[in-house]
Amino acid sequence: MVKKVVLFIALISGVFSQDAYERNCVECHKELPTSLQQMFKKYLLLYSGEENVKAGLKHYLLYPSKSISVMSELFIDNYGIKKKSMLNDEELTEAINIYWEKFKVFDKLK
Amino acid sequence: MSVSKSKVTNSLLKSEKKSLFRFLTLYVAMVSILIMLLAAFYHQSQEKLMLAEQRATLSKYAYIQTKRLKILHHFFPERNTYPRDPRFRSAIYDIEFMKIFSLLEDEHINFDKEIYITNKYIHFVKSLDEYYLGTKYLIIEVKDDGVWRTEIWKHIMGYGLIAFFLFMVFGLFLAKLFLKPMRDSIMLLDRFIKDTTHELNTPLSAILANIEMMDTDVMVEKNRKKLTRINIAAKTVSILYKDLTYLTLEQERKNEDEEIAIKPVLENRVEYFNILARSKNITFVLSLQNANIFIDKRKFIRIIDNLMSNAIKYNKRGGTIEIVLEENMLTISDTGIGISEEKIPFMFDRYMRFNKSEGGFGVGLSIVKKIVDEYNMQIEIESKEGEGTKVVLKW
Repeated sequence: MVKKVVLFIALISGVFSQDAYERNCVECHKELPTSLQQMFKKYLLLYSGEENVKAGLKHYLLYPSKSISVMSELFIDNYGIKKKSMLNDEELTEAINIYWEKFKVFDKLK
Repeated sequence: MSVSKSKVTNSLLKSEKKSLFRFLTLYVAMVSILIMLLAAFYHQSQEKLMLAEQRATLSKYAYIQTKRLKILHHFFPERNTYPRDPRFRSAIYDIEFMKIFSLLEDEHINFDKEIYITNKYIHFVKSLDEYYLGTKYLIIEVKDDGVWRTEIWKHIMGYGLIAFFLFMVFGLFLAKLFLKPMRDSIMLLDRFIKDTTHELNTPLSAILANIEMMDTDVMVEKNRKKLTRINIAAKTVSILYKDLTYLTLEQERKNEDEEIAIKPVLENRVEYFNILARSKNITFVLSLQNANIFIDKRKFIRIIDNLMSNAIKYNKRGGTIEIVLEENMLTISDTGIGISEEKIPFMFDRYMRFNKSEGGFGVGLSIVKKIVDEYNMQIEIESKEGEGTKVVLKW
């Protein structure tokens, strides 16, 4: 009984220690052949600046569509379009902000 | 009537100098502005030409750097070394003008222009269609060696000076044309005076000599008064005659300088002018110390006569003339109409008369000034309108 309680607490604390990006993005993308890093570069290639990238990404997550996807035809044909995000605005914004901070190019070139 | 230049009219009058100075100032200012404008246009066009030549090279560099960025984008983040090239420096900015990475020496970027010169560098801004690593703007920088600028300045200075010199020659020609009517009229007046004064000498001498010889004691009062008036009129004409002959003939004569005791000369001239002064009820107040001066007596008398004549002419009825003689200084003050301060500098100009109600040609003070300058003396005039004029002569 004690073991079960400890395991449950560990599981709960593990889940809550993760941020919005880890919780909502990383899990699903693990199964895809393209990394989140590669996808970020595709967003950069299309939208360039921080505000643009964030706005484009948010729009796609809320209204996913083949016509505005940054991914290739082949990718979409194989893996389809994601489902519409059910996250509230605050959590979605937070996840996108973390995503930007994690993969942004600023200060990474030398 | 032909007009010949004489020594008298060769020197520029103050009013002529002022007109000439104004004209030349305006002309030089306009010429300078014109040359500067032309230089600015030339500089601008040459700069554009240089940038057009640089544009092709910088465009090629931008193309090369774009291809390198494409590769870096593909391999990022495994490769994170920004591509460098010894021929140029570069920087990348995103669509929001945020710097992604820069190797530029001069970070002042003008995103509105495709190519421009900063302090010592030339910047070429290329806008990318595909935003590799988020790059919207690629800036290529090369050093501006300034050789073209030195060349341009050489041209500007060279051609500018030649143009300025030519304009100045033209300006002097214009100035001559501009002053010619003024000088012609002065020369005509000189010639006229020269011609007429010759004819005045004999009758004037006869009148004055006969007045002196007349015995006034035996005359009735009425006739004596008439004779006094004739005497005054003749002396006035005599002073004018002497001035005019001095101006046209005598001043070219050689000086006969000598040591003169001023006091007796002044007393003599006061006596001479007394009859004129009395006609206006003007009294002389004399304070004369003994003083000497080394000068041509004829010229010194011209100075005294003219100053006294003016002091009487422009004095009010019943006024006074104060003559103070000290060592190296003579002061003649009147209680007359005075003259405004701004007119004082023009008082010594020939034919300059400020009060048309009084007779004369306006040559007296110009003669005084000529003599004063010739003997390195100083003349100062203090005047207040309605109160009087004070002339101070120092030597």
